Amino acid sequence: MRFKDQIDFVRQHIRKNKLRVFMTILAATMGTAFLIVLASVGFGIQDTIRDEMLSNRLITEIDVFSGDMDAPTIEGLKQREHVKAVVNRQSVSIRQETGMNGYIGGQSLIVTDFGEEAKVEFALKEGRLPQNEHEVVVGSHFAEGMIDPEKLDAEGEPVTYNGKLLGEEFTYKFGLYENDELFEEEIPLTIVGIAKEPSKDWVHDMKVYGDASIMPKVKQIFISNVEDAEVTDLFYSDVKMYADNLENVKSVSEAMKEDGFDVYSISDELERMDVFFLVLKAGLIFVGTIAILIASIGIFNTMTMAVTERTREIGVMKAIGASPKLIQRLFLMESAWIGIIGTFIAIVLSYGISYIANLLLPIIVASALGEEDLGSLSVTFSIIPWQLVLIASVISITVAMISGWRPARKATKIDVIQALRQEL
Amino acid sequence: MIQVQELSHSFKIGKKGKERQVPVLKGLSFSIQEGEIVSIVGRSGSGKSTLLHILAGFLKPDTGIIEIDNVRTSVFNETESAKYRLAHFGFIFQNFQLMPGLTVFENIELPLKLSGVMEKERRQKVQELLQLVGLTEVQDHYPNELSGGQQQRVSIARALITDPPIIFADEPTGSLDSETEQDILLLIQSLNRSRGITFVIITHDDTVAETAHRIYRMHDGELIEGGASHAI
Repeated sequence: MRFKDQIDFVRQHIRKNKLRVFMTILAATMGTAFLIVLASVGFGIQDTIRDEMLSNRLITEIDVFSGDMDAPTIEGLKQREHVKAVVNRQSVSIRQETGMNGYIGGQSLIVTDFGEEAKVEFALKEGRLPQNEHEVVVGSHFAEGMIDPEKLDAEGEPVTYNGKLLGEEFTYKFGLYENDELFEEEIPLTIVGIAKEPSKDWVHDMKVYGDASIMPKVKQIFISNVEDAEVTDLFYSDVKMYADNLENVKSVSEAMKEDGFDVYSISDELERMDVFFLVLKAGLIFVGTIAILIASIGIFNTMTMAVTERTREIGVMKAIGASPKLIQRLFLMESAWIGIIGTFIAIVLSYGISYIANLLLPIIVASALGEEDLGSLSVTFSIIPWQLVLIASVISITVAMISGWRPARKATKIDVIQALRQEL
Repeated sequence: MIQVQELSHSFKIGKKGKERQVPVLKGLSFSIQEGEIVSIVGRSGSGKSTLLHILAGFLKPDTGIIEIDNVRTSVFNETESAKYRLAHFGFIFQNFQLMPGLTVFENIELPLKLSGVMEKERRQKVQELLQLVGLTEVQDHYPNELSGGQQQRVSIARALITDPPIIFADEPTGSLDSETEQDILLLIQSLNRSRGITFVIITHDDTVAETAHRIYRMHDGELIEGGASHAI
């Protein structure tokens, strides 16, 4: 029998028992949709947490913790395989003050290598990078940190600097936290560039970025003012390595660990999170599969009824030459058809439910929390990736076919003589 | 040619554990020539239907050999038997055994579908047979919308659709009135003459049996050749 004729044959029989087949398809649809929607919550939450983790840092970033991070060590790190950049930001661990045109601020100084910074995400909004001694780049919110101590605005808040920054000169002073007075010496610094605004709205960059040329002057002031000064206490390093791509983060991290460095990368955390969510999603799919198994009882019943009702017809078909294999295939196709239609409707339905859930749940959660700004809630409750659709389809159609297998076997075992004796 | 040698068959009857064997066919040997109409006559329980079921491959004999055109069909398994039936046999049953959910056209077409014949060729063959049995007008009707005679004609057309060399007819006129019975018997004779089809007719009715070239009488599991029919 040709495949097309087999399909026609199955469809003809389904049409004869529309209501019963419809109810069975409905059960299969509900079971499969339950599985997809349930597991989609796992995918949705994982995606939300992953996005949250990745939004705070570069995915290729590796933190390096080491007490003695001297220049040769940094250079050594840059030479490692798959390392795109090594940014060593050195902060000054003392009280700092800036002053400009009567405004004062407490912005901290960061000494860095602009060449390495530029390889990752550091960029300028305006101006240029420092080329000469005492030239610096300031953070995009630098001006917000400069206040006039003697003036208050209408709301009683200190008045912040509102003038131009590029080309302006300001003074940089520092001192010990335990003393009231700062050291007398001032370092004049000129703003030649303004850093690009951070991608996150809530991050305010008020820092002062200078290159290594500023360090001798800072050290000299520190030594001349502090007895028994240890210059190593003045600067502390925050070293970040950047792998050339995500795939190499793990290998770079592993190599660093082998060489005795303490490192942390987001890939470690993502890996742990992925394992957790893999287990969670497998659990959810397992629970969903139970729903499909319950639906399969309906398919089994429908197919058993179909075989019982068609005993005489099966007998006639066998008598005129239909092979047992063909009979079995026709019944398996019928149960598979129920599974396929049920799965298809379930997929469409699940996408609809997922869409509505993602639309409504943030509103419900926001109202419950008394949050007015709904836009700030960037939580995805449900995501249906194609892999989930594939897994659910395979489970659903396989279960449908397994449910139909026994009735199909029963059909092949129908005795022709007994079947032909049945009354119409 | 159908050649049967030492064919025996028995059924188990009774409760499990207390079954006993009842012999139904007792070492039958006979042959049927190509193009013959042969009637097998006998009372109920004489074993004639069992003989037909074994000849058609619905049942496997306990012992004995059946050869059709030198092919030993008695050793076939279920699948081989089904395949052989589809290609070589046609069936006419007492209660027609038509598919209630299929139209006249679809019922006749069914064996061709099982054989995997293309739709165009199927349509052409079905139309030819509808004309032959005079049912073109009712081709889109369902079996329950037809008279007994019409239903048996559909059954005959379905038996003929694959051009089988042998047609087994089990009480072909058992459900028909005498006028329709004559029509069907004439159709069988005409098909035998025009197409050279071998007919094996199982009946308890002597009138039907006399349509045949030869008559075998079954009695208590044994077969006695009753000689040529008076009608021929």
